[in-house]
Amino acid sequence: MSEVEPRIRGQQAWHRLTRRAFLRSTGLATSLTALSGLSAVPALTSEGASGSAPFLSEDDTEVLTQIVERMVASDASGAPPVRETGAIAAIERLLQQLDPSLTQDLPLAIRLFDWGPIVFDFTFTRFVNMDAEAQDESIRCWMSSRISLRREAYAALRNLALLGYYSQDEVWPGIGYRGPLLKEGVGS
Amino acid sequence: MIVSLSERGGDLALTADVCVIGSGAGGAVAAAELAEGGRSVVVLEQGPHWAARDFSQREDEMLPKLFEEGGMRQTLDGAVQILQGRNVGGSTVHNLCYCFRTPDAILRMWREEHGLEELTPEALEPSFARVEKELGVVQIREDEVNELNRIARRGAEKLGYSGFVTKHNRKGCVQSGYCLLGCSYDAKQSMLITYVPRADAAGARIYTGARVARIEAPGGRMKRVVGHAIGPDGSLRGSFEVKANVVVLAAGAVNSPDLLLRSGLANGGGQVGENLHLHPSVIATGIFDEEVHGYRGIPQSYYIDEFIDLESDPHSGAILMPIIEFPGMAAATTPGFGRAHSALMRDYGKTAGLLVLLHDQTSGRVRSGDSLSKPSIEYELEERDAQQIAEGLLHCAEVLFAAGARQVLIPYKPEPLMLERGDDITEITRRGARHGQLVTASTHPQSTCRMGGDPGSSVVGPFGECHDVEGLFVADMSVFPTSLGAPPQITTAMFGDRTAHHILENWKRFTT
Ligand SMILES: Cc1cc2nc3c(=O)[nH]c(=O)nc-3n(C[C@H](O)[C@H](O)[C@H](O)COP(=O)(O)OP(=O)(O)OC[C@H]3O[C@@H](n4cnc5c(N)ncnc54)[C@H](O)[C@@H]3O)c2cc1C
Ligand code: SF4
Repeated sequence: MSEVEPRIRGQQAWHRLTRRAFLRSTGLATSLTALSGLSAVPALTSEGASGSAPFLSEDDTEVLTQIVERMVASDASGAPPVRETGAIAAIERLLQQLDPSLTQDLPLAIRLFDWGPIVFDFTFTRFVNMDAEAQDESIRCWMSSRISLRREAYAALRNLALLGYYSQDEVWPGIGYRGPLLKEGVGS
Repeated sequence: MIVSLSERGGDLALTADVCVIGSGAGGAVAAAELAEGGRSVVVLEQGPHWAARDFSQREDEMLPKLFEEGGMRQTLDGAVQILQGRNVGGSTVHNLCYCFRTPDAILRMWREEHGLEELTPEALEPSFARVEKELGVVQIREDEVNELNRIARRGAEKLGYSGFVTKHNRKGCVQSGYCLLGCSYDAKQSMLITYVPRADAAGARIYTGARVARIEAPGGRMKRVVGHAIGPDGSLRGSFEVKANVVVLAAGAVNSPDLLLRSGLANGGGQVGENLHLHPSVIATGIFDEEVHGYRGIPQSYYIDEFIDLESDPHSGAILMPIIEFPGMAAATTPGFGRAHSALMRDYGKTAGLLVLLHDQTSGRVRSGDSLSKPSIEYELEERDAQQIAEGLLHCAEVLFAAGARQVLIPYKPEPLMLERGDDITEITRRGARHGQLVTASTHPQSTCRMGGDPGSSVVGPFGECHDVEGLFVADMSVFPTSLGAPPQITTAMFGDRTAHHILENWKRFTT
């Protein structure tokens, strides 16, 4: 029985990153939007992260955190601030558990998002150094860019952010979701 | 006997009379009927075997366990998300239990336009009856209609639109609302608790974590099926081969054509993977002043059929169905970001969704992709279908406003259209619903190995046997000759039953 399908684990080096590969990686999270499909994701529960090496570096995590903060606007909504929820840990866990061929280019997307204002929008300030209003403006540039790669990156990070945040139990009371019925003892 | 190949690991060689690939609506029925009919049956299912206790009602935990490509299956251009099951019981484990027989008008069209004279309601009656009995199909009671569905009904009735409370396949339902994430109460009569245990009891050998990679039929006669034992993360744990006289392929309308194409089989007419229909659907979300909590109770019980009249036009139309998403899904499928998005999410408990599901004429195609786990799916909504979606969304908005919604959100990308009560809703038809313009999903891919009398324009004949390969049958949603225009699980199961009985009645032919 020789017909064994080789499993492609993500070993792609940075220098080999193609636009296509980048689009695919962003397609990962784009697909998280799927009507009911936005699923995709191994448990985003609020347990601690697993013992394996972090998927994102500290710097990337900070950029991602700021992206999530602006995507969910938790400062303005009266909802729990992102840093007080398990959202970022949950996203990290998700990235660790997904097939690497799907996630391998995501760190690059995050870095591009950070440097995007300088590279694409001539604003001379990195995303992480902007105030909230400028960050929102920068996100809008990604969202409505004529470059499809930028729109895809927006979609990827947006969906990751929203899924990670709204999967957290702490967020549910503020949006009127009562959570699993099993928690109420029905059938447990 | 249900054995996890992922846990067992290593290589495996088996022989059987019949090898069934996939354990969803088509495969499970075929396996049970064949095993009970005295044939030795091996079932190969790529996904795991979950039980009620595994269904935690958390979308973050369940969605990745239940769906193909971890829920990330989508068309090549990312415009349509496609949900299909990947576990014992297939998509029936997380479907929403609407139960409909194949509409008479569709059967008539299949007979008249696809050379399938055999498909009369009378000829199919025994199969439908057996399937409905086993799945416990009954009328949903009035007291089981939840607030989400009452809203849709209120709006439709105010406008004089035709609609009705449907049948379903639930027994002892506690109305939790979590059907989409698997039933924690064993109330949903999915394949997982009906036909799969029957197949098991009748002696079928059911292997999970068993992903078929190729079917071999040298000289047009079935020989064997080969594949890999895979872990939950897709890692390889071993290989298997199953020698069988007959193979029933029921891997769903994306994977079945992919397997045939990879195997170089049954494609004499060049039709394998062609004619893909999706029943594409788009959700309009109504926001109400009062709490709806539409995620509690039976998710779908009402059905608006005002905009589909298959008797006068079996080729087009749209259905409106109530729908609710859990918060993570709802957040990701609501376009936009930041304060506006967050304000919308604060109203989550006050929302009621109504989706337009299109009886589509657009034809896409499935091709083999980079790997077995990721076939390539091409589909671009044609103008006429786009127009029908826009009109359907307009009617969704009408119904939701008539039911008392203060706002209705239409999921245009990248920013949604928010209509206030009193706004001109024809803005929707003005904007239209061009391919890729709206958040769109499909839970019903179909027709990629279509049935027909003419080998030049179809893949299988009237009983599901491939025109080109004796003993190779297809028995899943891919055999639908056209878009069905109705919820498909009962039609799929009916084809599974019919194919199995045909094999049993003609068994001698496959042994000589
Ligand atoms: C969210 C959702 C809601 C739905 N709601 C309804 C509803 O209310 N009413 C209704 O009538 N229909 C509904 N449906 C559709 C219904 O569930 C399907 O019509 C039906 O399950 C299709 O049956 P199938 O046999 O074609 O495929 P599936 O049931 O999807 O089964 C295919 C099986 O094959 C397995 N498989 C695939 N490839 C391989 C391989 N290479 N090797 C081994 N195994 C493989 C898969 O893991 C899967 O288990 C819904 C579907 C979804 C996704
Ligand atoms: S609504 Fe009924 S069938 Fe659906 S998950 Fe809850 S108990 Fe099960």
